[in-house]
Amino acid sequence: MILTKKQRRIEWALAIVMIILSLFFLFPVIWMIANSFKPDAAITADMNSVRAFIPPAPGGGFFDNYVSIITDTSFLRYMGNTLLYAAALIVLSVIVNGLAGYALAKIDFPFRERWLFIIMMLMIVPMETIITIHFLFIAKMGLLNTVIGYILPMIVNPFNIFLFRQVFISLPDDVWEAAQLDHCSAIKYFFTMVLPMSKTVVATVSVFTFLSVWNDYLWPSLVFTSSDLLTAQIGLNSITANVNTTMGMTLALITMVTIPVIIIYSLFSKQIVEGVVSTGSKEG
Amino acid sequence: MSFIELKNIYKKYPGADKNSVTDVSLNIEEKEFIAFVGPSGCGKSTTLRMIAGFEDITSGEIYIDGQKMNETAPKDRGIAMVFQNYALYPHMTVEKNISYGLKNMKVPSDEIKKKVDWAIKVLGLEEYRRRKPKNLSGGQRQRVALGRAIVKDTKLFLMDEPLSNLDAKLRVSMRNEISKLHRQIGSTTIYVTHDQVEAMTMADRIVIMKDGVVQQVGKPMDLYEHPANKFVAGFIGSPQMNFYDVTVNGNIVTFEDGSRITLPDSVTSKLGGRQGELILGIRGEDIKLDAQNIDLFKADKQSAVVENAEVMGNENNLYFTFGGASSVARVSKYEVSGIGDKIEFVFNPMRIHFFDKQTEICYI
Repeated sequence: MILTKKQRRIEWALAIVMIILSLFFLFPVIWMIANSFKPDAAITADMNSVRAFIPPAPGGGFFDNYVSIITDTSFLRYMGNTLLYAAALIVLSVIVNGLAGYALAKIDFPFRERWLFIIMMLMIVPMETIITIHFLFIAKMGLLNTVIGYILPMIVNPFNIFLFRQVFISLPDDVWEAAQLDHCSAIKYFFTMVLPMSKTVVATVSVFTFLSVWNDYLWPSLVFTSSDLLTAQIGLNSITANVNTTMGMTLALITMVTIPVIIIYSLFSKQIVEGVVSTGSKEG
Repeated sequence: MSFIELKNIYKKYPGADKNSVTDVSLNIEEKEFIAFVGPSGCGKSTTLRMIAGFEDITSGEIYIDGQKMNETAPKDRGIAMVFQNYALYPHMTVEKNISYGLKNMKVPSDEIKKKVDWAIKVLGLEEYRRRKPKNLSGGQRQRVALGRAIVKDTKLFLMDEPLSNLDAKLRVSMRNEISKLHRQIGSTTIYVTHDQVEAMTMADRIVIMKDGVVQQVGKPMDLYEHPANKFVAGFIGSPQMNFYDVTVNGNIVTFEDGSRITLPDSVTSKLGGRQGELILGIRGEDIKLDAQNIDLFKADKQSAVVENAEVMGNENNLYFTFGGASSVARVSKYEVSGIGDKIEFVFNPMRIHFFDKQTEICYI
């Protein structure tokens, strides 16, 4: 596309505004990362100067805060737990919400549109309002402080069902008819045709699920009491509550929690945007 | 018993106020190539989909190879189908698309390889075997869809407007390929199209449908020469047959604009004494402009002014108004006339058709 001089000037102006805005939002993150490599004394000394945004020169003690976290706390284990829960939830979420979305998109059953309406209504109910019911339910089932108790209420997600439904509805019916003539069962069709044909929405749901598990604080803090099962966010809280944790360690912990989210956002920003656009809505 | 028998098939969709398919009865013989043709919404695809098992039958019976198939799942009907939009599996290569059904049918892998290699060779897809559908042209995609159908050794091929997404040139070449393939494989083929040229050039027999009702079943030339009614006469043939509201009195035919022609006794006798208001139909190629024919039927010579001329290369179509109706004459490439030229012509009386004005049934 050939731009006119005026258009080019507008593009430049927009780029400059975006860079300034990005820096504005990035300052706390830069500050956090820079100070996560410093001892507390240096953090306090640099507090009121521009050095607060500059990491120390690499050398002896550069990674001390990180080494302390790895050696003195169970934070790596909590991160591992969270990754495991996220992986399990991604698989279950894609299967369960995907099947529900497929049914709502392609299978003709009584009151289908009303079911869809109910599911869409559920999207506006905040998780916090039903968390007590979830807690009581899981407690009655004797699943408190178990992985299953943590995962179970998080599998079904109205937003993900709606997301899948919106994508599946545009899949051509004749592919299913061709697959039937190729002796493909409905379940096999779902796993070998529908999901591979809908890679974008699968990626979107996986990213959303990962982020919701990684950032979740309230639900795991209610379900888990055993320190072996804690998630990264709860682990972060319990470690920083300890009097022996330094400010540098706290910043290193927050950096460790933040970095996977930044990586996921940078790698899958396209899927996240497409997912939001395809539904015409956004998650809570 | 015929290979396929449709007995009084009806289809009515829930909530619809009329049938989509009404009382279709048809026998199709083994190895026959039969085309269902008709305008959009005539019920041809619905009938095909009922044969495939993708649509429930409201009433009636379908038999394939002697077995009643009303309740049989599509996969158990022994059919292969080629879809209008190809229905290829987008994430699979050409090879995998073709072999997918065989794998599901637990065919031994060496046999799968043999069949896939054969299909790929027959369809000229050798250099595309590892490509995915998105990297193929429309014609190549359609060939993959054909490949998927032919490897399954089914006795019945169903094709639902398989060429409608291709450009005109490709359609002609694919038409030939499908006909060749049919002769080579010898499967019974039911081919749905809205293009009467495809039906005429490919089918052993044509089933013409309108508003869910079969209008006529017959060999292409039978339909062309002896249409059952005005709809069939108008649908088959390009350019369309010319129709005129006329009054027949004895041997004299009077057109709306007062023009007259005289019918030979042999034609009048075929009318069986039917007189009065009728519809006269004549094909463009039976309107003669050459000196020999004009001399032969000079008593009935007519004239008109050319309003439009289509030069087709091998022939010309001349459009003019005559007898109160828009008309077209299909003449040889040597009979050149320009817009505004006055032409003289005669109707070949032996090729005239007459239709009832109310029922539109063809008398001759």
